[in-house]
Amino acid sequence: MTKTKKASLALLFLWFCVVIWAAFFYAPKAAGFKGESSRIVFFHVPQAWVAVLAFCVNLVASLRYLRHRNLLDDARAAAAARLGLLFAVLATVSGSLFAKVMWGSFWNWDPREVSIAILLLIYAAYFALRQAVSDPERRGSLAAAYAILAFVTMPFLVFVVPRIYWSLHPDTIISAQGSVKVQMHPRMFQVLVGSLLGFTGLFWWLYSLEVRLSRLRLRREEGGE
Amino acid sequence: MNLLIESFTILRKELTSELRSRVAVSSVGLFALTTLVAVAYQIGPYRIHEQDRPHLHAALLWIIVFFAASSGLPRVFVKEEDAHTAKSLRLAARPGAVFAGKFLFNLVLLLGLEAFLVPLFAVFMGFSVANLPALVLVLVAGALGLASSATMVAAIISRATGSATLFVVLSVPLVLPMLVFLIQGTRTAATVPELSALLPSLRAVVSLTGVTLVSSAFLFPVVWHD
Repeated sequence: MTKTKKASLALLFLWFCVVIWAAFFYAPKAAGFKGESSRIVFFHVPQAWVAVLAFCVNLVASLRYLRHRNLLDDARAAAAARLGLLFAVLATVSGSLFAKVMWGSFWNWDPREVSIAILLLIYAAYFALRQAVSDPERRGSLAAAYAILAFVTMPFLVFVVPRIYWSLHPDTIISAQGSVKVQMHPRMFQVLVGSLLGFTGLFWWLYSLEVRLSRLRLRREEGGE
Repeated sequence: MNLLIESFTILRKELTSELRSRVAVSSVGLFALTTLVAVAYQIGPYRIHEQDRPHLHAALLWIIVFFAASSGLPRVFVKEEDAHTAKSLRLAARPGAVFAGKFLFNLVLLLGLEAFLVPLFAVFMGFSVANLPALVLVLVAGALGLASSATMVAAIISRATGSATLFVVLSVPLVLPMLVFLIQGTRTAATVPELSALLPSLRAVVSLTGVTLVSSAFLFPVVWHD
């Protein structure tokens, strides 16, 4: 590992230590929430954000695969989907814990809960498809086509469903008029942004590890070992 | 040859082939009938409270339509791979025409299924409708939406393993948002006489169908030729 990578990793570790400390001791409790339950927002929202970010990375890698037919792009798409699935599960679990505390039930069929459940199903279906095809090139193109098709339904899940159905979740920070409307204590907002950056960094680190591993696997396969 | 004519030629071929074998029609029809009888026997028109009827009827109707359709919709591509006719079809027609022809066949199949199922569902389940034209609109939009997603997924699974299980696994996450809007629309048609009440659900279904069709048209050549 190079010195820059070691330093980045150490920085990421320190960043998370600060975020965790700030989430519990720097940010105040939010009004209208039971006990300390509002603090989960510093972890739940970034997990959901990373799940969606991974879906976007999966889309870009899938498009690149269809354009260049490079198996490494297919491996990049699969790595992003794997991490997206992991973070979607984490967001679902942390959201369920919050729902139990706030609303008395782990699952309430809220539109945003349905959205994340469908996102989990899409990721699971993506891997079911990958496992069903043995030829690597055909697997790459079919998985890429499915990923792109699945991605186009995302805006409907994220933006349309919560606007048609009543939701337990707070409104999005982007209003229908397109203006940003943050109703959060400045300290809470700072911690949330810090956590978003930290989780994004964590995703990129895990993603780069996955891609390096895939590159080595592809090289070994090309070498006929 | 014009793309439109080519597409209708594929549709005619599909209809002729289906009229000879009747595999898709009988599997879809029998699946729908069996499921409806099972649901109606267990639940029927009287075991649901009056105020819950529109919600449950709308959900049950679309569950039966989707799963009955799942038994027949993937056949359009799977049968070409099974009969080893896919290569000839690749040479004979452009990918756009193949997709359009197969999509139109699935649309006809779905509209036929709805025409057969919905009156029986109304009789067996006591399903009453406040606005019939609104229900017809939802059913047509639903057939368009389900046919667009199902045709593309059918093409994908025919190039993978061709299994019906994989079709359901891949199509459920894609059609779930659409089913949510369709169930909402059906419930509205069953309870609200004004057509304007249907617009939010209808707009969502039509836009989702449009987006799916456009992306499928771009992606189909990749799936078909790889």
